[in-house]
Amino acid sequence: MRAVAIGQAELKLFWRNRTALFNSLLLPLLLVPVLISVDAEGVPLVVGLVGFALLMAVYYNLVTTFVARREELVLKRLRVGELTDPEILVGASLPSVVVALGQMVLYCLVVGVITGVELPSRPWFLLLGVLGGVAVFVLLAAASSAFTRTVEMAQVTSLPVLMACLFGSGLMFPLSALPEALGRVLQYLPLTPVLDLLRAGWGDGPVLKPLIVLAVWIGLGTYAVQRWFRWDPRR
Amino acid sequence: MTAIEVRGLTRRYSGGFEAVRGVSFEVERGEMFALLGTNGAGKTSTVEVVEGLSRPAEGSVRVLGHDPFAERSAVRPRMGVMLQEGGFPPDLTVSEATKMWAGTLTAPRPVEEALTLVDLAHRASVRVKQLSGGERRRLDLALALLGKPEVLFLDEPTTGLDPESRRNTWELIRSLLRDGVTVLLTTHYLEEAQKLADRLAIMHRGRIVAQGTVSEVVNAYPSRISFVPPNGVPLPVVADADSSGRVTVRTNELQSTLHELLVWAAANNVELSGLDARSASLEEAFLAIAEEAA
Repeated sequence: MRAVAIGQAELKLFWRNRTALFNSLLLPLLLVPVLISVDAEGVPLVVGLVGFALLMAVYYNLVTTFVARREELVLKRLRVGELTDPEILVGASLPSVVVALGQMVLYCLVVGVITGVELPSRPWFLLLGVLGGVAVFVLLAAASSAFTRTVEMAQVTSLPVLMACLFGSGLMFPLSALPEALGRVLQYLPLTPVLDLLRAGWGDGPVLKPLIVLAVWIGLGTYAVQRWFRWDPRR
Repeated sequence: MTAIEVRGLTRRYSGGFEAVRGVSFEVERGEMFALLGTNGAGKTSTVEVVEGLSRPAEGSVRVLGHDPFAERSAVRPRMGVMLQEGGFPPDLTVSEATKMWAGTLTAPRPVEEALTLVDLAHRASVRVKQLSGGERRRLDLALALLGKPEVLFLDEPTTGLDPESRRNTWELIRSLLRDGVTVLLTTHYLEEAQKLADRLAIMHRGRIVAQGTVSEVVNAYPSRISFVPPNGVPLPVVADADSSGRVTVRTNELQSTLHELLVWAAANNVELSGLDARSASLEEAFLAIAEEAA
């Protein structure tokens, strides 16, 4: 696959970028105490860490990556080559996604073993949740990058999605602590159905509605990227 | 056989600005065609549509018989592009950036070979951000050549190059032309177009205002003879005077007009001081076009 050539180069750049390394590899560790304060149970902790990896390692990292490559005119250059537009985006996303998946596996193993989490009874929902979550947050990152002028601005432009998902999808505190009407609205945030599917891997929670919400987000994200994604810098 | 065919191309930006208005030209296989023009004339806007980066608002474009926008996958493997401004991740080395690009191509040259072509092999392990502006242009050229293209797009390829690199780049382009590569060049160095191009077009405000071989374009403009006329003697030819007292004679037959003038001067025993006679050059044609249209 030709996109891998871009992915390999991006991986080299990732190792040479201290900020990205810190955000992806160390920041999640700092979050463990916060997540434990919400719920020290094994499964919610694992689910929370996976959600956090999606937000930071996939979404936030990729907003900055897309903006940086656009402003460096790398995307413009790639676009006159043989790769298709989706291949360029997939290639640029590869290292962030691989790192995020690595984090998820690592945290699940460590936390799982410490807290004695059982193996998921319905692992395919877990897998669907992770894959769907990666797809949604890659697309949202690409869409957000369109509204971000500089790499520094990414800290601001990524806040709406980050904050909404951190506080609205039950990562920082359980949704049951909120008024019921509000909780119902928050089910439609992009991260909520992902977390629902992850939990469904261990229990028998509802899956149809999260799957539909997730599919709608993937559709919206694809539309937004086709409509707004910018391949060259604003002038 | 035609490599590039552009018919009635118009490009409109969001906001309604028409950067290109009804441009048509053809480039034959193995030929170099140069697009000249002042800054903002619409050269890059035109070339970007021909490269398939954007769909024309009106008109049609064919590259090697295909629509470069709709049939990108059919055309791209056969073309190489050097953008006016293209970028590489600053933290990759020259050879890493080239390898990355090679990995995206159907049939790339060896990385070493491409870097040697542009004289960058000795800089292979240097980070892109440490390259000079001219070296970055050469890296861009190396990537454009990496896929052994049949059609090469060069958007101001020698801007920022020192004279020696510029000469080397011209030599490289000549050897590509000898191998049958078709080249579409934009440049604002007239010398570059005059030296390399088989045919050229001069653009002004989105339109092509002159097109043909260098001599066809130049011959449309008269030669000039200028001098300070002697006092009180009527001249034998029509001449325009300027404020400094110098006059300019415009003629399509430089030799006979000059002869007439010199014979007259000798017969009247007058001196034509500061005499200057020159055939039209691409530069004069270019300046005349820019003036006329202004």
